Amino acid sequence: MKLQHNLGGLENLGPIHFEPRVFVEDWEQRIFGIHVAMMGLSDHLGGAGPRYPIDEVPTEFSSIWTWADLRKGAEAMHPFAYFQYRYYEKWLGGISGFFTSEGYLSEDELEARTAVYRRDPGLPLPEGGDRRVDDQVIRYLREGDSPRQGPARSPAFAVGDRVTVKDVPPADHTRLPGNVRGRTGTVERVFEGDYGYFCSTGPDGIGDPMPVYIVRFEPTDIWGELAEPAAVFYAELYQAYLTPAGPTSASSAREESA
Amino acid sequence: MEFSYPDEREAANAARVRALEALLIEKGVITDTTVDKVLGYFESTMTPVNGRRIVARAWVDPEFARLLAADTPAAIAQLDLPDGMAGAEGEHLMAVLNEPGVHNLVICTLCSCFPWPVLGLPPYWYKDPVFRARAAREPRAVLAELGVAIAEDTELRVWDSSGHSRWFVVPSRPPGTEGWTEEQLAGLVTTESMIGVALADQPAAA
Repeated sequence: MKLQHNLGGLENLGPIHFEPRVFVEDWEQRIFGIHVAMMGLSDHLGGAGPRYPIDEVPTEFSSIWTWADLRKGAEAMHPFAYFQYRYYEKWLGGISGFFTSEGYLSEDELEARTAVYRRDPGLPLPEGGDRRVDDQVIRYLREGDSPRQGPARSPAFAVGDRVTVKDVPPADHTRLPGNVRGRTGTVERVFEGDYGYFCSTGPDGIGDPMPVYIVRFEPTDIWGELAEPAAVFYAELYQAYLTPAGPTSASSAREESA
Repeated sequence: MEFSYPDEREAANAARVRALEALLIEKGVITDTTVDKVLGYFESTMTPVNGRRIVARAWVDPEFARLLAADTPAAIAQLDLPDGMAGAEGEHLMAVLNEPGVHNLVICTLCSCFPWPVLGLPPYWYKDPVFRARAAREPRAVLAELGVAIAEDTELRVWDSSGHSRWFVVPSRPPGTEGWTEEQLAGLVTTESMIGVALADQPAAA
Protein backbone atom coordinates (compact mmCIF):
# COMPACT_ATOMS: atom_id res chain seq x y z
CA MET A 1 0.00 0.00 0.00
CA LYS A 2 1.17 3.51 -0.75
CA LEU A 3 1.67 6.03 2.03
CA GLN A 4 -0.48 8.56 0.10
CA HIS A 5 -3.46 6.19 0.59
CA ASN A 6 -2.90 5.65 4.25
CA LEU A 7 -3.03 9.05 5.91
CA GLY A 8 -5.98 8.48 8.22
CA GLY A 9 -4.76 8.29 11.82
CA LEU A 10 -1.05 9.01 11.34
CA GLU A 11 0.60 10.06 14.58
CA ASN A 12 3.00 12.79 15.60
CA LEU A 13 1.97 15.37 13.01
CA GLY A 14 1.77 18.46 15.18
CA PRO A 15 -0.74 21.30 14.92
CA ILE A 16 -2.90 22.01 11.89
CA HIS A 17 -1.94 24.97 9.74
CA PHE A 18 -5.37 26.56 9.33
CA GLU A 19 -5.06 28.33 5.98
CA PRO A 20 -8.60 29.34 4.93
CA ARG A 21 -7.75 30.50 1.40
CA VAL A 22 -8.54 28.31 -1.61
CA PHE A 23 -5.50 29.53 -3.53
CA VAL A 24 -2.42 30.97 -1.83
CA GLU A 25 -0.74 32.15 -5.07
CA ASP A 26 -2.38 33.57 -8.19
CA TRP A 27 -0.73 30.97 -10.43
CA GLU A 28 -2.60 28.19 -8.61
CA GLN A 29 -5.89 29.45 -10.04
CA ARG A 30 -4.61 28.96 -13.57
CA ILE A 31 -3.65 25.30 -13.13
CA PHE A 32 -6.98 24.66 -11.42
CA GLY A 33 -8.78 26.20 -14.42
CA ILE A 34 -6.74 24.14 -16.89
CA HIS A 35 -7.60 20.93 -15.00
CA VAL A 36 -11.33 21.74 -15.01
CA ALA A 37 -11.15 22.53 -18.72
CA MET A 38 -9.52 19.14 -19.39
CA MET A 39 -12.27 17.38 -17.41
CA GLY A 40 -14.92 19.31 -19.34
CA LEU A 41 -13.37 18.43 -22.70
CA SER A 42 -12.53 14.82 -21.84
CA ASP A 43 -13.21 12.38 -24.63
CA HIS A 44 -15.21 10.05 -22.36
CA LEU A 45 -17.96 12.67 -21.87
CA GLY A 46 -19.60 11.59 -25.15
CA GLY A 47 -20.73 8.50 -23.27
CA ALA A 48 -21.42 10.24 -19.96
CA GLY A 49 -24.86 10.96 -18.51
CA PRO A 50 -25.89 14.09 -20.44
CA ARG A 51 -24.41 12.66 -23.70
CA TYR A 52 -22.26 15.67 -24.34
CA PRO A 53 -21.64 16.25 -28.08
CA ILE A 54 -17.93 16.03 -27.36
CA ASP A 55 -16.93 15.07 -30.93
CA GLU A 56 -18.36 18.37 -32.19
CA VAL A 57 -16.43 20.58 -29.77
CA PRO A 58 -13.67 22.37 -31.75
CA THR A 59 -10.76 21.54 -29.45
CA GLU A 60 -7.52 19.76 -30.21
CA PHE A 61 -7.88 17.91 -26.91
CA SER A 62 -8.67 14.28 -27.69
CA SER A 63 -7.75 12.47 -24.47
CA ILE A 64 -9.61 11.14 -21.50
CA TRP A 65 -8.92 13.25 -18.42
CA THR A 66 -10.76 12.76 -15.13
CA TRP A 67 -10.09 12.97 -11.42
CA ALA A 68 -8.71 9.45 -11.71
CA ASP A 69 -6.00 10.66 -14.10
CA LEU A 70 -5.02 13.50 -11.80
CA ARG A 71 -4.88 11.06 -8.89
CA LYS A 72 -2.79 8.54 -10.84
CA GLY A 73 -0.14 11.23 -11.11
CA ALA A 74 -0.19 11.91 -7.37
CA GLU A 75 -0.22 8.21 -6.56
CA ALA A 76 2.70 7.55 -8.89
CA MET A 77 4.90 9.97 -6.97
CA HIS A 78 7.55 8.75 -4.58
CA PRO A 79 5.56 8.77 -1.34
CA PHE A 80 8.05 10.93 0.50
CA ALA A 81 8.13 13.43 -2.37
CA TYR A 82 4.33 13.59 -2.30
CA PHE A 83 4.48 15.42 1.03
CA GLN A 84 7.14 17.88 -0.09
CA TYR A 85 5.02 19.68 -2.67
CA ARG A 86 2.17 22.07 -2.02
CA TYR A 87 -1.22 20.89 -3.32
CA TYR A 88 -1.29 22.71 -6.66
CA GLU A 89 2.39 22.10 -7.35
CA LYS A 90 1.48 18.43 -7.67
CA TRP A 91 -1.28 19.41 -10.11
CA LEU A 92 1.14 21.49 -12.15
CA GLY A 93 3.64 18.64 -12.31
CA GLY A 94 1.04 16.02 -13.21
CA ILE A 95 -0.81 18.10 -15.81
CA SER A 96 2.23 19.51 -17.59
CA GLY A 97 3.72 16.00 -17.57
CA PHE A 98 0.54 14.65 -19.17
CA PHE A 99 0.59 17.20 -21.99
CA THR A 100 4.22 16.49 -22.81
CA SER A 101 3.98 12.70 -22.54
CA GLU A 102 0.86 12.67 -24.73
CA GLY A 103 2.60 14.75 -27.38
CA TYR A 104 0.47 17.90 -27.18
CA LEU A 105 3.67 19.85 -26.60
CA SER A 106 7.32 19.11 -26.03
CA GLU A 107 9.26 19.61 -22.83
CA ASP A 108 11.65 21.87 -24.77
CA GLU A 109 8.75 24.01 -25.93
CA LEU A 110 7.44 24.30 -22.38
CA GLU A 111 10.88 25.13 -20.98
CA ALA A 112 11.50 27.77 -23.62
CA ARG A 113 8.15 29.47 -23.05
CA THR A 114 8.63 29.26 -19.28
CA ALA A 115 11.92 31.11 -19.71
CA VAL A 116 10.11 33.83 -21.67
CA TYR A 117 7.60 34.35 -18.87
CA ARG A 118 10.36 34.25 -16.25
CA ARG A 119 12.03 37.17 -18.01
CA ASP A 120 8.78 39.07 -18.53
CA PRO A 121 6.03 37.89 -16.16
CA GLY A 122 3.69 40.63 -17.42
CA LEU A 123 3.72 39.39 -21.01
CA PRO A 124 0.10 38.77 -22.02
CA LEU A 125 -1.29 35.40 -23.02
CA PRO A 126 -1.89 34.78 -26.71
CA GLU A 127 -5.39 35.46 -28.02
CA GLY A 128 -7.79 33.23 -29.84
CA GLY A 129 -10.00 30.19 -29.72
CA ASP A 130 -13.51 29.06 -30.53
CA ARG A 131 -16.07 29.98 -27.82
CA ARG A 132 -17.78 26.62 -28.22
CA VAL A 133 -14.84 25.16 -26.28
CA ASP A 134 -15.66 27.39 -23.31
CA ASP A 135 -19.36 26.59 -23.66
CA GLN A 136 -18.68 22.86 -23.33
CA VAL A 137 -16.49 23.36 -20.25
CA ILE A 138 -19.17 25.45 -18.52
CA ARG A 139 -21.86 22.99 -19.57
CA TYR A 140 -19.83 20.20 -17.94
CA LEU A 141 -19.65 22.25 -14.74
CA ARG A 142 -23.44 22.73 -14.76
CA GLU A 143 -24.41 19.18 -15.74
CA GLY A 144 -21.60 17.09 -14.28
CA ASP A 145 -20.48 13.53 -14.90
CA SER A 146 -22.42 11.15 -12.65
CA PRO A 147 -21.03 7.63 -12.24
CA ARG A 148 -24.49 6.27 -11.38
CA GLN A 149 -25.80 3.62 -13.74
CA GLY A 150 -29.29 2.23 -13.35
CA PRO A 151 -30.79 0.63 -10.25
CA ALA A 152 -28.62 -1.49 -7.98
CA ARG A 153 -28.51 -5.07 -9.22
CA SER A 154 -28.82 -7.43 -6.28
CA PRO A 155 -26.36 -5.93 -3.81
CA ALA A 156 -24.41 -8.61 -1.94
CA PHE A 157 -24.85 -6.90 1.43
CA ALA A 158 -27.79 -5.43 3.34
CA VAL A 159 -28.06 -2.80 6.06
CA GLY A 160 -26.75 -4.26 9.31
CA ASP A 161 -24.44 -6.83 7.66
CA ARG A 162 -20.94 -7.12 9.07
CA VAL A 163 -18.33 -6.68 6.35
CA THR A 164 -14.56 -6.88 6.30
CA VAL A 165 -12.58 -4.65 3.97
CA LYS A 166 -10.20 -6.45 1.61
CA ASP A 167 -6.55 -5.53 1.42
CA VAL A 168 -6.53 -5.31 -2.38
CA PRO A 169 -3.19 -5.22 -4.22
CA PRO A 170 -1.68 -1.83 -4.99
CA ALA A 171 -2.54 -0.50 -8.45
CA ASP A 172 -2.06 2.83 -10.22
CA HIS A 173 -5.17 4.18 -8.50
CA THR A 174 -7.54 3.27 -5.67
CA ARG A 175 -10.53 4.68 -3.78
CA LEU A 176 -9.87 2.53 -0.73
CA PRO A 177 -8.36 4.38 2.25
CA GLY A 178 -5.57 2.46 3.93
CA ASN A 179 -6.91 2.89 7.44
CA VAL A 180 -9.96 0.67 6.79
CA ARG A 181 -8.16 -2.16 4.97
CA GLY A 182 -8.59 -5.41 6.84
CA ARG A 183 -11.03 -3.76 9.26
CA THR A 184 -14.56 -4.91 9.99
CA GLY A 185 -17.57 -2.61 10.05
CA THR A 186 -21.33 -2.58 9.63
CA VAL A 187 -23.28 -1.65 6.50
CA GLU A 188 -25.17 1.54 7.34
CA ARG A 189 -26.64 2.26 3.91
CA VAL A 190 -26.94 0.55 0.55
CA PHE A 191 -27.09 3.08 -2.28
CA GLU A 192 -30.01 2.81 -4.64
CA GLY A 193 -27.98 2.62 -7.84
CA ASP A 194 -24.90 0.93 -9.18
CA TYR A 195 -21.85 3.13 -9.54
CA GLY A 196 -19.16 2.87 -12.16
CA TYR A 197 -15.81 4.60 -11.91
CA PHE A 198 -13.90 6.77 -14.39
CA CYS A 199 -11.58 3.90 -15.25
CA SER A 200 -10.85 0.32 -14.35
CA THR A 201 -8.40 0.19 -11.47
CA GLY A 202 -7.34 -3.34 -12.47
CA PRO A 203 -6.49 -5.59 -9.52
CA ASP A 204 -7.77 -2.88 -7.18
CA GLY A 205 -11.23 -3.84 -8.42
CA ILE A 206 -13.43 -0.87 -9.33
CA GLY A 207 -14.60 0.53 -12.67
CA ASP A 208 -17.58 -1.59 -13.73
CA PRO A 209 -20.94 -0.54 -12.23
CA MET A 210 -21.40 -2.08 -8.80
CA PRO A 211 -23.23 -1.42 -5.52
CA VAL A 212 -21.73 1.08 -3.09
CA TYR A 213 -22.21 1.11 0.68
CA ILE A 214 -21.73 3.41 3.60
CA VAL A 215 -19.89 1.33 6.18
CA ARG A 216 -19.75 2.34 9.82
CA PHE A 217 -16.56 1.55 11.74
CA GLU A 218 -15.96 1.82 15.46
CA PRO A 219 -12.72 3.81 15.71
CA THR A 220 -11.38 1.38 18.32
CA ASP A 221 -11.65 -1.37 15.67
CA ILE A 222 -9.31 0.70 13.48
CA TRP A 223 -6.96 2.40 15.90
CA GLY A 224 -7.38 0.50 19.17
CA GLU A 225 -6.47 2.49 22.25
CA LEU A 226 -5.40 5.45 20.14
CA ALA A 227 -8.99 6.08 19.04
CA GLU A 228 -10.97 8.89 20.64
CA PRO A 229 -14.07 7.90 22.62
CA ALA A 230 -17.60 8.68 21.38
CA ALA A 231 -16.65 8.89 17.72
CA VAL A 232 -17.77 6.97 14.64
CA PHE A 233 -15.92 6.63 11.33
CA TYR A 234 -17.89 6.24 8.10
CA ALA A 235 -16.41 5.35 4.73
CA GLU A 236 -18.18 4.94 1.40
CA LEU A 237 -16.97 1.70 -0.14
CA TYR A 238 -17.46 -0.10 -3.45
CA GLN A 239 -18.66 -3.69 -3.28
CA ALA A 240 -15.39 -4.95 -4.79
CA TYR A 241 -13.61 -3.81 -1.64
CA LEU A 242 -15.83 -5.80 0.75
CA THR A 243 -16.17 -9.39 1.87
CA PRO A 244 -18.52 -10.93 4.46
CA ALA A 245 -17.06 -10.71 7.94
CA GLY A 246 -16.12 -14.06 9.37
CA PRO A 247 -15.01 -15.16 12.83
CA THR A 248 -11.38 -14.47 11.88
CA SER A 249 -12.29 -11.67 9.57
CA ALA A 250 -8.98 -9.88 9.17
CA SER A 251 -7.03 -12.93 8.02
CA SER A 252 -9.81 -14.22 5.77
CA ALA A 253 -9.98 -10.83 4.05
CA ARG A 254 -6.33 -11.12 3.12
CA GLU A 255 -6.81 -14.65 1.79
CA GLU A 256 -9.78 -13.61 -0.37
CA SER A 257 -7.94 -10.70 -1.89
CA ALA A 258 -4.79 -12.73 -2.51
CA MET B 1 2.34 21.77 6.53
CA GLU B 2 4.31 24.73 5.23
CA PHE B 3 2.46 26.89 2.71
CA SER B 4 4.86 29.63 1.75
CA TYR B 5 7.87 28.98 -0.43
CA PRO B 6 10.77 31.15 -1.50
CA ASP B 7 9.87 33.75 -4.14
CA GLU B 8 12.11 31.93 -6.60
CA ARG B 9 10.03 28.76 -6.41
CA GLU B 10 6.73 30.65 -6.76
CA ALA B 11 8.07 32.65 -9.72
CA ALA B 12 9.20 29.44 -11.44
CA ASN B 13 5.78 27.84 -10.91
CA ALA B 14 3.98 30.98 -12.09
CA ALA B 15 6.04 31.15 -15.28
CA ARG B 16 5.58 27.44 -15.99
CA VAL B 17 1.80 27.52 -15.61
CA ARG B 18 1.58 30.64 -17.76
CA ALA B 19 3.71 28.96 -20.42
CA LEU B 20 1.46 25.91 -20.29
CA GLU B 21 -1.71 28.00 -20.65
CA ALA B 22 -0.17 29.99 -23.52
CA LEU B 23 0.82 26.85 -25.43
CA LEU B 24 -2.57 25.23 -24.87
CA ILE B 25 -4.26 28.34 -26.31
CA GLU B 26 -1.93 28.43 -29.33
CA LYS B 27 -2.46 24.75 -30.03
CA GLY B 28 -6.25 25.02 -29.85
CA VAL B 29 -6.73 22.88 -26.74
CA ILE B 30 -8.40 25.70 -24.80
CA THR B 31 -9.19 29.33 -25.64
CA ASP B 32 -7.86 32.59 -24.25
CA THR B 33 -10.97 32.84 -22.05
CA THR B 34 -11.47 29.24 -20.87
CA VAL B 35 -9.59 29.51 -17.58
CA ASP B 36 -11.12 32.90 -16.75
CA LYS B 37 -14.61 31.53 -17.38
CA VAL B 38 -13.99 28.53 -15.12
CA LEU B 39 -12.73 30.80 -12.34
CA GLY B 40 -15.64 33.19 -12.89
CA TYR B 41 -18.10 30.32 -12.50
CA PHE B 42 -16.78 29.62 -9.02
CA GLU B 43 -16.44 33.29 -8.07
CA SER B 44 -19.95 34.27 -9.11
CA THR B 45 -22.15 31.17 -9.04
CA MET B 46 -20.87 28.23 -7.04
CA THR B 47 -19.98 29.72 -3.69
CA PRO B 48 -20.77 28.96 -0.04
CA VAL B 49 -23.74 31.32 -0.39
CA ASN B 50 -25.63 28.32 -1.80
CA GLY B 51 -24.82 26.23 1.25
CA ARG B 52 -25.83 29.05 3.60
CA ARG B 53 -29.22 29.29 1.95
CA ILE B 54 -29.77 25.52 2.17
CA VAL B 55 -28.89 25.52 5.89
CA ALA B 56 -31.07 28.55 6.66
CA ARG B 57 -34.05 26.89 4.98
CA ALA B 58 -33.45 23.72 6.98
CA TRP B 59 -33.46 25.78 10.18
CA VAL B 60 -36.85 27.36 9.51
CA ASP B 61 -38.61 24.46 7.77
CA PRO B 62 -38.52 21.07 9.57
CA GLU B 63 -40.16 19.34 6.61
CA PHE B 64 -37.40 20.60 4.34
CA ALA B 65 -34.79 19.49 6.87
CA ARG B 66 -36.23 15.97 6.89
CA LEU B 67 -36.17 15.80 3.09
CA LEU B 68 -32.63 17.24 3.04
CA ALA B 69 -31.45 14.38 5.26
CA ALA B 70 -33.34 11.69 3.34
CA ASP B 71 -32.92 12.89 -0.26
CA THR B 72 -30.50 15.81 -0.41
CA PRO B 73 -30.71 16.49 -4.19
CA ALA B 74 -34.54 16.54 -4.10
CA ALA B 75 -34.52 19.06 -1.25
CA ILE B 76 -31.96 21.29 -2.95
CA ALA B 77 -33.97 21.22 -6.17
CA GLN B 78 -36.86 22.88 -4.29
CA LEU B 79 -34.81 26.02 -3.68
CA ASP B 80 -34.23 28.83 -6.12
CA LEU B 81 -30.49 28.23 -6.42
CA PRO B 82 -28.23 28.65 -9.48
CA ASP B 83 -28.46 26.24 -12.38
CA GLY B 84 -25.83 23.54 -11.81
CA MET B 85 -26.37 22.40 -8.22
CA ALA B 86 -26.22 18.79 -9.51
CA GLY B 87 -23.26 19.60 -11.77
CA ALA B 88 -19.57 18.84 -11.35
CA GLU B 89 -18.80 17.58 -7.82
CA GLY B 90 -22.47 18.00 -6.95
CA GLU B 91 -23.79 14.94 -8.79
CA HIS B 92 -24.43 13.10 -5.52
CA LEU B 93 -24.77 15.58 -2.67
CA MET B 94 -25.35 14.28 0.84
CA ALA B 95 -26.27 16.45 3.82
CA VAL B 96 -25.63 15.28 7.38
CA LEU B 97 -27.48 17.18 10.10
CA ASN B 98 -26.10 18.09 13.50
CA GLU B 99 -28.55 17.63 16.35
CA PRO B 100 -28.35 17.50 20.13
CA GLY B 101 -25.85 14.73 20.91
CA VAL B 102 -24.51 14.45 17.34
CA HIS B 103 -21.79 16.47 15.61
CA ASN B 104 -20.70 15.68 12.04
CA LEU B 105 -17.33 16.27 10.39
CA VAL B 106 -16.55 15.80 6.69
CA ILE B 107 -13.07 14.84 5.51
CA CYS B 108 -11.34 13.27 2.51
CA THR B 109 -8.33 11.22 3.57
CA LEU B 110 -7.47 10.19 -0.02
CA CYS B 111 -7.51 13.61 -1.67
CA SER B 112 -9.82 16.64 -1.45
CA CYS B 113 -13.36 15.61 -2.51
CA PHE B 114 -15.67 18.53 -1.78
CA PRO B 115 -19.28 19.53 -2.66
CA TRP B 116 -18.39 22.33 -5.08
CA PRO B 117 -21.92 23.62 -5.87
CA VAL B 118 -22.77 23.91 -2.16
CA LEU B 119 -19.50 25.15 -0.67
CA GLY B 120 -17.40 26.35 -3.60
CA LEU B 121 -13.79 25.19 -3.73
CA PRO B 122 -12.05 23.64 -0.72
CA PRO B 123 -9.89 25.81 1.54
CA TYR B 124 -6.24 24.87 1.90
CA TRP B 125 -6.51 23.44 5.40
CA TYR B 126 -9.04 20.85 4.15
CA LYS B 127 -6.52 19.61 1.57
CA ASP B 128 -3.62 19.60 4.02
CA PRO B 129 -2.32 16.06 4.74
CA VAL B 130 -2.01 16.96 8.44
CA PHE B 131 -5.73 17.78 8.72
CA ARG B 132 -6.73 14.76 6.63
CA ALA B 133 -4.64 12.43 8.79
CA ARG B 134 -5.53 13.83 12.20
CA ALA B 135 -9.26 14.47 11.72
CA ALA B 136 -9.81 10.78 10.95
CA ARG B 137 -8.57 9.48 14.30
CA GLU B 138 -8.64 12.47 16.65
CA PRO B 139 -11.52 14.69 15.50
CA ARG B 140 -12.14 16.05 19.01
CA ALA B 141 -8.54 17.10 19.45
CA VAL B 142 -8.62 18.79 16.03
CA LEU B 143 -11.86 20.62 16.82
CA ALA B 144 -10.51 21.71 20.21
CA GLU B 145 -7.41 23.05 18.47
CA LEU B 146 -9.70 25.10 16.23
CA GLY B 147 -11.58 26.44 19.27
CA VAL B 148 -14.62 24.15 19.18
CA ALA B 149 -15.35 22.15 22.32
CA ILE B 150 -17.55 19.10 21.68
CA ALA B 151 -19.22 17.66 24.78
CA GLU B 152 -17.94 14.28 25.90
CA ASP B 153 -21.33 12.66 25.46
CA THR B 154 -21.83 14.04 21.96
CA GLU B 155 -21.21 11.47 19.23
CA LEU B 156 -18.69 12.74 16.72
CA ARG B 157 -19.40 11.29 13.27
CA VAL B 158 -16.54 11.50 10.78
CA TRP B 159 -17.47 11.03 7.11
CA ASP B 160 -14.60 10.11 4.79
CA SER B 161 -15.46 11.08 1.20
CA SER B 162 -14.04 7.92 -0.35
CA GLY B 163 -16.87 7.20 -2.82
CA HIS B 164 -19.24 9.13 -5.09
CA SER B 165 -21.06 11.17 -2.41
CA ARG B 166 -20.07 14.73 -1.62
CA TRP B 167 -20.94 15.49 1.97
CA PHE B 168 -21.74 18.71 3.80
CA VAL B 169 -22.89 19.44 7.34
CA VAL B 170 -26.02 21.29 8.43
CA PRO B 171 -24.88 22.86 11.71
CA SER B 172 -27.25 23.36 14.61
CA ARG B 173 -29.24 26.60 14.71
CA PRO B 174 -27.76 28.93 17.31
CA PRO B 175 -29.94 29.87 20.28
CA GLY B 176 -31.33 33.40 20.40
CA THR B 177 -32.33 33.48 16.74
CA GLU B 178 -36.07 32.96 17.16
CA GLY B 179 -38.03 34.93 14.62
CA TRP B 180 -35.02 35.63 12.41
CA THR B 181 -35.53 35.67 8.65
CA GLU B 182 -33.79 33.11 6.45
CA GLU B 183 -31.56 35.86 5.14
CA GLN B 184 -30.50 36.84 8.66
CA LEU B 185 -29.90 33.21 9.58
CA ALA B 186 -27.83 32.55 6.45
CA GLY B 187 -25.43 35.22 7.69
CA LEU B 188 -24.54 33.00 10.67
CA VAL B 189 -23.55 30.02 8.53
CA THR B 190 -19.83 29.77 7.79
CA THR B 191 -18.06 27.48 5.34
CA GLU B 192 -16.20 25.92 8.26
CA SER B 193 -19.48 25.12 10.01
CA MET B 194 -20.72 23.31 6.88
CA ILE B 195 -17.62 21.09 6.91
CA GLY B 196 -17.93 20.52 10.65
CA VAL B 197 -14.82 22.21 12.04
CA ALA B 198 -16.89 25.06 13.49
CA LEU B 199 -20.34 25.77 14.87
CA ALA B 200 -22.58 28.35 13.25
CA ASP B 201 -21.82 31.87 14.43
CA GLN B 202 -23.64 33.15 17.50
CA PRO B 203 -26.05 36.09 17.01
CA ALA B 204 -23.78 38.50 18.88
CA ALA B 205 -21.03 37.84 16.37
CA ALA B 206 -23.26 38.41 13.34
